[in-house]
This record gives sequence, structure tokens and C-alpha cells, in this order.
Amino acid sequence: MKSPARFISWLIPAVCLIALAAWSWHAMQPAPGAFNSDDFGTLPVVSNGRVQPLASLARNQLLAIQGKQSIPGENPPSSPAGWLAELAFKPQVADKRPIFQIHHDEVLGQFKFSQQDGKSYSFIQLVPRLGDLAGEVTRIASKDSQTWSPYEKALMKLWRNLGNYQQLKFAIAHPESGGLEADLTLLLAKAREAQAEGAKRARGEPADAALIDAAEARMQVLTEWSTQTEVFTAPPSIGGSDSEWHKLPDAAIEATERGTLDPSTLAFARMGDAWRSGDAAKFNSTLAAHLGWLEKHRPENLRKARAEAAFNRLAPFYACMAIYGIAFLGALISWLGFGTVLRNAAFRVLLIGLAIHTLGLIVRMTLEGRPPVTNLYSSAIFIGWGAIVLSLSLELFYKNAIGTAVASITGFATLIIAHHLSLSGDTLEMMRAVLDTNFWLATHVVIITLGYSATFLAGAIAIFYIIRRCFGRVPSTAAASMRGMVYGVICFATLASFVGTVLGGIWADQSWGRFWGWDPKENGALLIVIWNAMILHARWGGMIKERGLMVMAVFGNIVTSWSWFGTNMLGIGLHSYGFTDSAFFWLTAFALSQLLIMAIGSAQHHPKNNPALPAL
Amino acid sequence: MSRQAQRNGALGAAIAVFSSLRLTVVLLGLCMILIFSATLLQVELGIHEVQLRYFRAWIGWFDVVPGSARFAVPFPGGMTLGSLLMVNLLAAHIRRFSLRWEKAGLILVHTGIVLMLLGELFTAVLSEESQMRLSEGKTANFSVSPREIELALSCPDDDGSLRVSAIPLSRLKDGAEFPFEGFRLRIVRFFHNSEIEKAEAAGASFDPLRADRGKGARLAVREKHRETAMDRRDLTSAFVEISLPDGTPIGRWLLANALAGGEGFEVNGRPWEMAIRQRRFYHPFSIRLLDFTHERYLGTQIPKNFSSRIRLLNPEHGEDRETLIYMNHPLRYGGLTFYQAGFENDDTTSILQVVRNPAWTMPYFSCAMVGFGLLWIFSQHLIRAIARRRPTVDA
Repeated sequence: MKSPARFISWLIPAVCLIALAAWSWHAMQPAPGAFNSDDFGTLPVVSNGRVQPLASLARNQLLAIQGKQSIPGENPPSSPAGWLAELAFKPQVADKRPIFQIHHDEVLGQFKFSQQDGKSYSFIQLVPRLGDLAGEVTRIASKDSQTWSPYEKALMKLWRNLGNYQQLKFAIAHPESGGLEADLTLLLAKAREAQAEGAKRARGEPADAALIDAAEARMQVLTEWSTQTEVFTAPPSIGGSDSEWHKLPDAAIEATERGTLDPSTLAFARMGDAWRSGDAAKFNSTLAAHLGWLEKHRPENLRKARAEAAFNRLAPFYACMAIYGIAFLGALISWLGFGTVLRNAAFRVLLIGLAIHTLGLIVRMTLEGRPPVTNLYSSAIFIGWGAIVLSLSLELFYKNAIGTAVASITGFATLIIAHHLSLSGDTLEMMRAVLDTNFWLATHVVIITLGYSATFLAGAIAIFYIIRRCFGRVPSTAAASMRGMVYGVICFATLASFVGTVLGGIWADQSWGRFWGWDPKENGALLIVIWNAMILHARWGGMIKERGLMVMAVFGNIVTSWSWFGTNMLGIGLHSYGFTDSAFFWLTAFALSQLLIMAIGSAQHHPKNNPALPAL
Repeated sequence: MSRQAQRNGALGAAIAVFSSLRLTVVLLGLCMILIFSATLLQVELGIHEVQLRYFRAWIGWFDVVPGSARFAVPFPGGMTLGSLLMVNLLAAHIRRFSLRWEKAGLILVHTGIVLMLLGELFTAVLSEESQMRLSEGKTANFSVSPREIELALSCPDDDGSLRVSAIPLSRLKDGAEFPFEGFRLRIVRFFHNSEIEKAEAAGASFDPLRADRGKGARLAVREKHRETAMDRRDLTSAFVEISLPDGTPIGRWLLANALAGGEGFEVNGRPWEMAIRQRRFYHPFSIRLLDFTHERYLGTQIPKNFSSRIRLLNPEHGEDRETLIYMNHPLRYGGLTFYQAGFENDDTTSILQVVRNPAWTMPYFSCAMVGFGLLWIFSQHLIRAIARRRPTVDA
């Protein structure tokens, strides 16, 4: 290879690396504004059953409510954590931001809006009608959620979002308290006085009944407040377990017995007052002092929260998407000209993408303390990763850029799917009891997901083959290598999906007492095994040749997507977890597109020079 | 193939068909159609019913228009396809059998698959599933079938112990008669699944028959379709008549698994009790629930763990020990396996799934065999591909 060409094949990946570095640098820049909302976002709290930074709480809530992290309205806070601070400390401002999305006509009608009014509404706009809607919500909630109509689903989703939004308001502050630190200090002082009066009353001496009643009323407010949030802000003392965190109002109630507020409650109260009065210096110094306290008393929680907050800001999987896009273009253009140079460049760019993808997976695994696949979202991330690793080995073997092209497009597509799945909320959620076993998650789940990866990969190569043939005859070497790739990958897919499926059966035997229960998800996995076995037997029996192999491999995509998503949509069985309705539309569209490609593939002329594989 | 078939006549042709890869592919394709369609039907029929009607049946009937039972077409069921695949597999191996290293993987894979299919068959025939409901502090020496019911009659023996006779579900039919010591029991009407209503509130669709004795005397019954959802049970009921051997009637009772407690009557001065209840399996040991815990993740309803601390009592072996049953960690004892399956009564009652499945180890072996076999075959492919590839790489 000539030196300028060699130079270019390194230049492109180098430019990508520089762009990545710039992206990360930009992402880690402090948000503009006097208040240090970045560090505020790293404060650990317990929500959804796990320790997480406030930034994640805010981010997941924004994603669930409006499907994006950016904040609408005038002078928007620069980060989700800033928005959370605003929501808690200045709710009257946050309530005016149009973050609630209403698309359904009948739901709009319930609020006396129409399509002309737009789709985004603020809390202030919705609140007048909420009282009237409570009855409707109760009616829907009493029905089986499987039977909800699209209108009912949309209304319930909005209602849930409104509820979570309100919960967040009460997480670290009380919307009606003008100065929380003063209120809480007063509470402690008066509680002590009331105790003294109560003791007098118990002795039969004259006591100040008004004082006792006022103290009781204050405690009542705290008790009510406690029911309005599920966020736990006060950590236990050193060495306490993560299940011993307290909500802010509960911590305040406990403080009345001790006589002093715990550091976290005091810090949140002070930060809230500083935010409200616009005193950035006080906010930042309180925050810094509290972070120092956490560093000493809950170092593990703080470290984890910081790592997760940084991970969210760096968003490695978004960077991967861009990198895979570039690798794909490089591979595509390499077929038009500049073969070796671009092929090598694209391969190296893909390696960079894979490195980040792998790093992202490892960080997620460390944060969760779990194997890579724990829910639908992480399965998408891992399917992409598996397909890329497999096709990289193909590329090393065949060196014709097909591996690179297929790897990058599969990686890109699965990350897009992952992105859409992440919109449903927390992607690092806790595992339900039966799934709480790292052994089976690491074996059954990982292996079966690799089976998905391989089946999709074979299908993707086959699609390439069919599209390539639309542009004329495929050179026999290229055809032979694609045939070899598809065949090899299907072999691997058969192995992984079979072993994965049976391991799933063994897990079921361990936890439910039956090896095989004909549950939809189990059946879906079995369909993949059978389909792959069918392709292999048809090939060995000489029933299909090159074209047949490709067409059948494309159908593998439909079978796998059915097993991955379709079975969850039936809403029955032990595997029916997490999924959204719009997935049904996309699944159908995907299946139709695959059928179309199969039809095109079948209509193509039979290629010559196509020896059958020797039967075993 | 065809020349060979002509030479060997009809038998040879049959062997050729049964051992062909074409048949394998067709059968696998039919399996896919069956599994996919039956999975969709689970929404309507429930997992259990679909298993019985399609996977564990020789012929499955599919409605042409889903939901309307007007016109159905037959389709080979799981048993048919499984048996044919087995025949196909054996025939192919017998015809092409040769003991060579290259074939070792193939033989291993297929033996593993045969083992797995047999394991499923044995499980279908031999396994028994039941449930043990234990409240904290309570002891039980039996488990009950979640789906099957029985009609049990009991009477104290002279030595004070209780003698129980049970009539299984399969013999409970309208008009069936059972002779007992000193009386006869006749099933007047049997309802597999039913609805029970106060007689005065019951409409015309209810059976006109009424009981003249016992708790059910003021109740009416109506037949219902069998339950399909996994978490719902049939409410089985029956009107039974007790009469003396000479035909003198003693009375007519309504029995149902939903009516708590049994019905009592006296014959020849001996008190009898009868009840329709979930079928019971008695064990030679008993289990006492010491404590049930249900942990949730902080601030959520997501279950973190369910566990039952139990005491295992087996006087015959002098056993009296404590053990913990929790998610993914069943107790295997006396040929039975106890799994943590559920809970009720505000977390004070634990439900254990009790399974007797003598074939439970078969999938473990078959999985290992097929896994190694496939690895063997595909590494052979890979080595060959690399060997083919090498000269061009060097060039």
C-alpha cells in the first residue's frame, strides 16, 4: 500500500477519535449559570429501589414525560438536574413549562383542548381539570389493563406522569414552605417545648394546650408529606445498608426525637432556600460541604452516583451511533473505489465504536453489579454488541468490508432501538425476585441474546447479498464469501440459541419446577432454534442453494424479532415484561419489509456457479 | 435415491421417505406453524389449555375464523410431529449409520435431542404438580392439586383415626353411583365449572335442581365455561344424593370446592363427612412453616425476595430440621421438589409448588450432549473453512 493511502486509512479513524474527545470534553463542561447544578445532580438518593444520582432521577422523569431531555419554556435550566432543582425549589416557575405531551384527541378533549392548541402543555394548564378527571381515572384503573383502549392507555399514562411529576416536587422540598430551614428549625424547637408541656400534662399540671396542638399539626404536615414522595434522601449512618435510607419528611420527624436535623435534610433545606433567594454562593458552598460529608460518610454511594451521572452526560451509546454511521459509509464507499484504503479506515473506525460500546457495557455492568442483559433495553445494546463482535471476526477472515458494513449497520439499528426503549424510564432498574440471580443472567440470558445477535447478523448479510444482486451479478468470490458467512453465522446461531433455550429450561426447572411450560417467550426461542435447524437441514439436503439460503436467512430476522418483542406483546405467561404499544407498529413494519426483501430475493435469477455444500 | 428405492420395493421407498432430510425440513416447518399459531391462541385459551389441545395432542383443531367455532381444520399436533421427527431421525441414522469421528458430533446432537423429546414425554406422563399452602406456624403433610378436584368422604374409624375415600375427577359424571358401607352415593348433576347464586336471586338460566339438606339448600347453580387463565380455578360443584342400600333416600346435598367445609350426615350411627375439594396428595413427612418473608426494594412494590423458613419433620427417619426455600433455590426431598411459588393473607401464608418429576435430570444431560455435539460439528466446519482459505491468504 502506498504511503498517502496508508496515511488516509489512519487519518479517518484519527479524526473520529479527535471528534470523540471533543464531544466528551464538551459533555463534561460545567453547565452555564451561577448555581452548580452539575454537582447537585451527583447527589445520591434512593428511588425506584436503587441508589442513583439526582440527575438520573430528573433525566428519566423527563424522558418518561416528554421523550426528550431538553427543557422547554423561557430561560430553561441547562440540565435535567437544574430542572429538578427548579421543580422542587421554584415550582411556580417549573409548572409553567409545557413538558406534558398530549397526542390523543379524546384526552385533549377531556382537558377541553383541541389539536389547534398544540401538543405540549404545562402543569398549570392541566391542573384545573384534574379534579374532574379523578373519577374517570378510577373507572379505568378498576379495569384489567389488558383491555384498555388507546384513549384509556393515553389518559392513564398522562395521569401516571402527572403523579410522578408531583412526587418529584415533594422529593427534596415542600412546595408550600417559603423557608424550609427556618420551618424545620422551628419544628424542632417547638417539638421540644411541646414535649415539655406534654410531660406537664401527664403529671396533671396545667399545660399549654395550644402549643401541643400546634406541634402535632406540624407533625401531621410531615406525615402527609411523607406519603407524597417515594424518593429517599437521607442516608443511614456509616455502614448502614442501602435499604435503610429515609425520605426527607421522615428524617425530619426522626430529628424531633434527637433534637438535631441530619446533615442531608439540613443541606437540602438550605440549598432550597438559597436557590429561592437567588443566593448562588450559599447554594454552592452548602452543596460542596454536603458532598464533603457524603465523601466521608457514604463514599460508596457518592462514587456510584458520580459515575452514573458522568455516564449519562457522556452518553457513550449516542457517540457509538455516529461512529457506526461513519464506518458504514466508509465500507459502502470502499466498494465503489479506493478499496483497501477505505476498507481499512472503516474497519478501524468500527473498532473505535466497538471499544466505546464495550466500555459503555462494562460501566453499566459495574453500576448494576450484573451481567450485561437485565431488561429489554440492555438486550438491544447487547444484541448490537454481539453482532458486531461476530462480524468483526468475519471481516478479519474475509477482508472484503462486508463484515464492517454489516457490523456497523446492525450496531446502528440496535442502538436506535435501545434509544427508543430507554424512553420508558430507568434502564438500570432493580431485578424482580426470580430474576435476581447473576448465574442464570450470565449464562441463559447472555447466550440466548448472542443467538439473537447471530440470527440477525445472518439476516443482515443476506439482505446485503440480495440488494447487491439487484445491481447485477455478484462476482463468484464475493458470492462465495457471503455464502460462507451466512452459513457460518447460522451454525453459530443454532448453537447459541439452542444452548440458551435449554439453559432457560433448566433455569425454569430450578425456579418454577418445570423444564418447559410452552410459555410464549420459550416458544419464541424454540422457533429460532427450529428455523436455524431447518435452514441447515435444507442446505445439507441440497433443497436450497445460495439464493434459498439467503432468502431463508432473511426470514430469520422476522422469527427473531417475534421472539424478542412479539411474544412480550401477548401479555401472557411468565416472561411478559416491559414493552410499548408503538413497538407493535414497528414490528409489523419490520416484518413486512423483510417479506418484501425475501420476495425480491426469490424473484432474482438463479446464480450459476453454486455448488451445494457436502452433506454431513 | 430413486434408483435405490426401486430396487428395494415398497419397503425401501418407505425407508427412503422416512429417512429423508426433506421430511425433516417439512416436519420442522410444520412444528413452527403449530408453535406459532398455538402461541397466539394462548391469549384466548390460556397456556394450560393450549398445551393439552395442541402440544400434547395428536391432532390439533384450529378455527378458520379465529374466535368463531364454526369451522375448524385439523393440524398435526405436538405428539404427531414429535413422533414423526423421532422416526425420521432414527431412520436416517439407521440408514446412513457409520462409526466415524466426523459423525460423532452428529450422533451426539441427535441422541441428545431424542433424549430431550423422551424427557418431555416422560414429564408429560409421569410428573405430578401440586401446591402446599402453609400459614405461619401451621404444619401440613399433604399438598393439593391446583386444577384437579376430588370428592372425598371421611368417617372416623374405631381407633379414632380418620378413614378417607376419594373419588377422582374422571369418575364424577351425571348419574354415576358409588356404593359405600351402608349407603349409596349418586351424582345427580355435575358441573365442571359453575356459578353459585342464592336461589331467590337466580335467574332462569340456572339449573332448577336444589339441595334439600346442608349449606347449599338455598343455593342455585349454573354451568360455566372452564377457566383458561393461569391464575383462576374452576368452581366445581355437584348435587349428590345419599340413599340406603334399599333405596330409601337420606337427602340431597350441594357440594362445591368454593363452599368451605364439608357436609355431614349419619348412617348406622356413624358420622360421615363429604366434600368436593382440590385433589390431595399425602406425603410420608410433614412441613411446618416457621416464617415467610417478602422483601421489596425500598420505596417500590418490586419484589426483592420471597422465602419460606420451614421445619421438615419425618418421624420415620427421625428427621427434624430447619431449611430455607427461596427463589431459584428449591428444596429437593423424598423425590419431590418444593419451590417458592406464591403468598397470600398479607404475607403470612406461603404457597409452595410441589413437583414430582422423575425425569427432571434428562434435560441437563441432553443439553450437554447437544451443546458439545454442535460445537464438535461446527468446529469441524470452521477448521475446514480455514484450511480452504489458507492458500489464498498466503498468495
